[in-house]
Amino acid sequence: MTGLGDVIPPPLLALLRGRALTLARPAWGRRQGRHFSAREGHGQEFRGHRGYVPGDELRRLDWRAVARHDRLVLREAHSEDELDIALLIDGSAAMDYGEGWAHKRRHANALAAALASVALRQGDRVGLAIARGPTPDPSMLRPRGGQAQLARIVARVLEDRYEETCPWPLHLAPLATALPRRGLVILLGDLLDPCAGLPGAAPDADPQVADAPLLHALATLRARGHALVIVQLLHRDELEFPWDGRELLRIEDPRRLRADVEGPGVSLRAGYLARLRAHLTWFERGCEREGVHLVRLVSDAPVTAGFLAILDQLAGKPRRLETEAAP
Amino acid sequence: MTLLAPWMLAGLVGLALPVLAHLLGRERPRQIPLSSRRFVAAGDEVVTHRRRLRDLLLLALRVGLLALIVLALARPISERPGALTVLATPHDAIILVDGSRSMELRVDGETLLAHAREVVDDLTRSLPAGSRVGLVISDPGGPRIELSADPDRVRRALARWLDEPGPRPRGGAWTLESGLAAAAALLQATPGGIERAIYAVGDRTDRGLGSLPPRLDDEIVIVPVPVLGAVGLEDVPRAGQERRARDPRPEHVGLDGAAWEPARELDPRAVRIRGSARRYLSEEASKTITDTRRVTVALRVDDQKVARAEVELTGARPASFEFTHTLTGADGPRRASLELEPGPTPDPMPGDDVISLWLSASDRTQVTVVNGDPSEMRAHDEVFFLATALAATESARALDVRGLAPEQFEERLRREGASALAGVDVLILANVRAPAEDIAHHVAAAVERGMGLWITAGDRVEARPYNDRLGALLPLLLREAVVVGTAPGRTEARTEGLAPVDLTHPALRGLTGDLGLTGTRARRLYLLEPDPTRAAEVAVSFTNGAPALLTRAFGRGRVALLTTSIDRDWSDLPIRPGFLPLAERTITYLAGERGGASARHVLVGEPWVLPSEAPMTIHTPEGVARPVAPDERGLITFADTMTPGHYRAEREPGATPSERADPVCSVNVDPDESVTTPTWEEPPSRGDEVVAATAHAARWRPLVLLALLLLALEAALRWRRAAPRRRAGSWWRPRPPAT
Repeated sequence: MTGLGDVIPPPLLALLRGRALTLARPAWGRRQGRHFSAREGHGQEFRGHRGYVPGDELRRLDWRAVARHDRLVLREAHSEDELDIALLIDGSAAMDYGEGWAHKRRHANALAAALASVALRQGDRVGLAIARGPTPDPSMLRPRGGQAQLARIVARVLEDRYEETCPWPLHLAPLATALPRRGLVILLGDLLDPCAGLPGAAPDADPQVADAPLLHALATLRARGHALVIVQLLHRDELEFPWDGRELLRIEDPRRLRADVEGPGVSLRAGYLARLRAHLTWFERGCEREGVHLVRLVSDAPVTAGFLAILDQLAGKPRRLETEAAP
Repeated sequence: MTLLAPWMLAGLVGLALPVLAHLLGRERPRQIPLSSRRFVAAGDEVVTHRRRLRDLLLLALRVGLLALIVLALARPISERPGALTVLATPHDAIILVDGSRSMELRVDGETLLAHAREVVDDLTRSLPAGSRVGLVISDPGGPRIELSADPDRVRRALARWLDEPGPRPRGGAWTLESGLAAAAALLQATPGGIERAIYAVGDRTDRGLGSLPPRLDDEIVIVPVPVLGAVGLEDVPRAGQERRARDPRPEHVGLDGAAWEPARELDPRAVRIRGSARRYLSEEASKTITDTRRVTVALRVDDQKVARAEVELTGARPASFEFTHTLTGADGPRRASLELEPGPTPDPMPGDDVISLWLSASDRTQVTVVNGDPSEMRAHDEVFFLATALAATESARALDVRGLAPEQFEERLRREGASALAGVDVLILANVRAPAEDIAHHVAAAVERGMGLWITAGDRVEARPYNDRLGALLPLLLREAVVVGTAPGRTEARTEGLAPVDLTHPALRGLTGDLGLTGTRARRLYLLEPDPTRAAEVAVSFTNGAPALLTRAFGRGRVALLTTSIDRDWSDLPIRPGFLPLAERTITYLAGERGGASARHVLVGEPWVLPSEAPMTIHTPEGVARPVAPDERGLITFADTMTPGHYRAEREPGATPSERADPVCSVNVDPDESVTTPTWEEPPSRGDEVVAATAHAARWRPLVLLALLLLALEAALRWRRAAPRRRAGSWWRPRPPAT
């Protein structure tokens, strides 16, 4: 029997108590929940007054306003809906990197489980998919509520199975049926080669050309009204390329799409960093253009910090992205 | 198959070392599975190391290449038992190698001289233990190696000589026999009580092995060793058995002679060049082959091809051809050459495909006739018939004939001294009493320097003054003029006829028949004092045996003496048909070395002797200028004529200007060396003296060729492997900054 403690480190587990997942954007849930909605309803948030018309519920009369205005006035409040959340975790071999909680997949699992735990506890519905291989697995993608769902999610993320690639556009397609209303889609992965494995994709193509299908898929989701959050989880090695000596390296592609490259780190590093930085900047601007929230985390940072950063991002608080690599 | 240097195979161990070092000593790379691998680019600024044996084919090629080189260094050979004969007991041996031009013939892609190198290698290895060996080349410029117990000295010396810059063999014509003296001298210079032998390595031609005597001084054995098809004991034919055909010789074509003459009937500056070409076939082929082969001969004047002619060569018969060409431009000798144009297959002996000539439209011989009996009536003049005959010669070179009275001649000599004769090629003293005593030495000195002198008899000739003043140069001393009928024992005869002329005399060589002189009747003649020491050559004699025309060389000049008159006073010789060619050829012969450009023609290796009072510079065909100085006799001897072509002597600046052009000389190869017909068939018949030794055939040369082929393959493969990297246009190239 697995528990939440198997996935989430104790500090984060402690942090979850009393936390709420709030979304800056209005939600559009099927049932009442805790999220601010764009429509009028029975929530706690004051929306405004309007005159009474026959048929209105009398208990919604604002008696103080009636006394002040000397006519029948109704008090209106915003609706508070539940939120459908879809969590998608990169299950490719590229995430199998790092030690301890800096292991990218383990770090992503913790974040996903924590988000699911908070959301389910506040009544939202959560679905999950591990994106790996060319075939999407939508079996748990449709959001569901309850503690049983949390247990299923924990069990699913603990599956220690990887496939070589994670072609994100293929895995975003099932969301069209799994999320019929506005919802929140959270992608957790490194997004360094998000379209690798797409049919017809050339491994040596220009990254901006090769990754365009991802931006297109994100734009499609945004057009459906979903809120999109991409948690780009990078290892510090990937950000900083710390091998700057004469030691001979053989850089292997965990996706097995590209040939190995051998050479001393000192001669590889500068070009690598320049190309990586250019790509991250391009991806950041692409997300910004498409209205996607991008949270860039480094896997050796505390999971709690990353979790709070995601909550802040969802709540609309500004935050600086981790884009600068150490020299 | 054996190896001459088997220890070199140890080098094969070295082949494994690079591979082992690579496998064992390589640095293990640190493996990093990096998700951002797409941002790591190989091939730009990355120094990529090879960590695995990836290009196995390339490695195999390189290892194979090294292995072949090692194998070639080990010098594999295959044995040919019984291919050579050597003396059975230890002995002193000199290997005499034919270095003449006939060894230039290419058989199986290599010259005979290169084949001879292999034979010498075989010989030095086949000699019995304890033998000493030395080396002589029939080319006088070749190495001479004294007897030594180390055969490598011989091999190295021969290899060094063959590898020296310049053609090998050189163009000289030396018989193999000409090297025997040097070989024998080397043998006799080293004392030793054992047997002595000369192994003569050459081709089977008359000038090669065919020129050798069977034994030298009854002490030195001569063992002929053919370059191709070496002799073994088993080659000795049994009775009634045909000798099997060996020594296949490729057919080759060569020019075997050329001459030219003015063709003034066509144009004052026209010349007619005649030459002949022929096919040189093997003996068997020359009997059977009767087909016709076409070759093209080109005439080149001043390095420009001016004419071509197709010549049909049928069988082995020489075919003559003729060009006429009108010289343009400046006077003076012009360099010309006849060249066989290359055919579809290269000529195996290219050395005789070119003949060099000097052509001149103004090539005139200066003839001065001292008329001892002038007459107002032309028909009675002493030299009327001579001048008329010379004027009628069309084929001879142009003659500038000047007539002088004896007084004029002597006066000029007294006034100008020896320089009065400097421009004279032939001086004719026709019925002159004798040159005055004070000027006679000028005449003798001029003859010694190359002038021709023709003395004709007559009533005015006096024996004693001639004998006293020019006796040193006369072919024979004069005794007295006699009337034929009064000759002792010939009282009945009133006239004397001429015996058939001696056509072997150099002046008459090439003429045929009796020249139309047999009807000549002489009434008077001059008797001569017999003197065998004077080496006079009689060209024409009377039927009674008395010489009529005789010649003698004196210094560089020639002297002719006609013992009857050159007009009709003493005989009817001038009106005989043969008088014209006789006079023309005599003057041409006397002009000799000074008769104009066409007369300077020497064979390769022969010295070019030219009279000159002052130092000169000789320009050789290689473009080298060699200063030369005359000796005390006023002669320049230029011996370095090993290169065929055009030689020109230039007077030193400031020298006395001369009316004549700079002396020139054409040097050509001896056509005798072109004859490759095998004629030598003498088998060794020394019974128990000789044994069949084991000879070796070198097999490493194909290995070297194979190694070169592998090298080319390796380069091509490497280039092909590198092509994709060269073509890679990577998107990683830095982008221009956004503006």
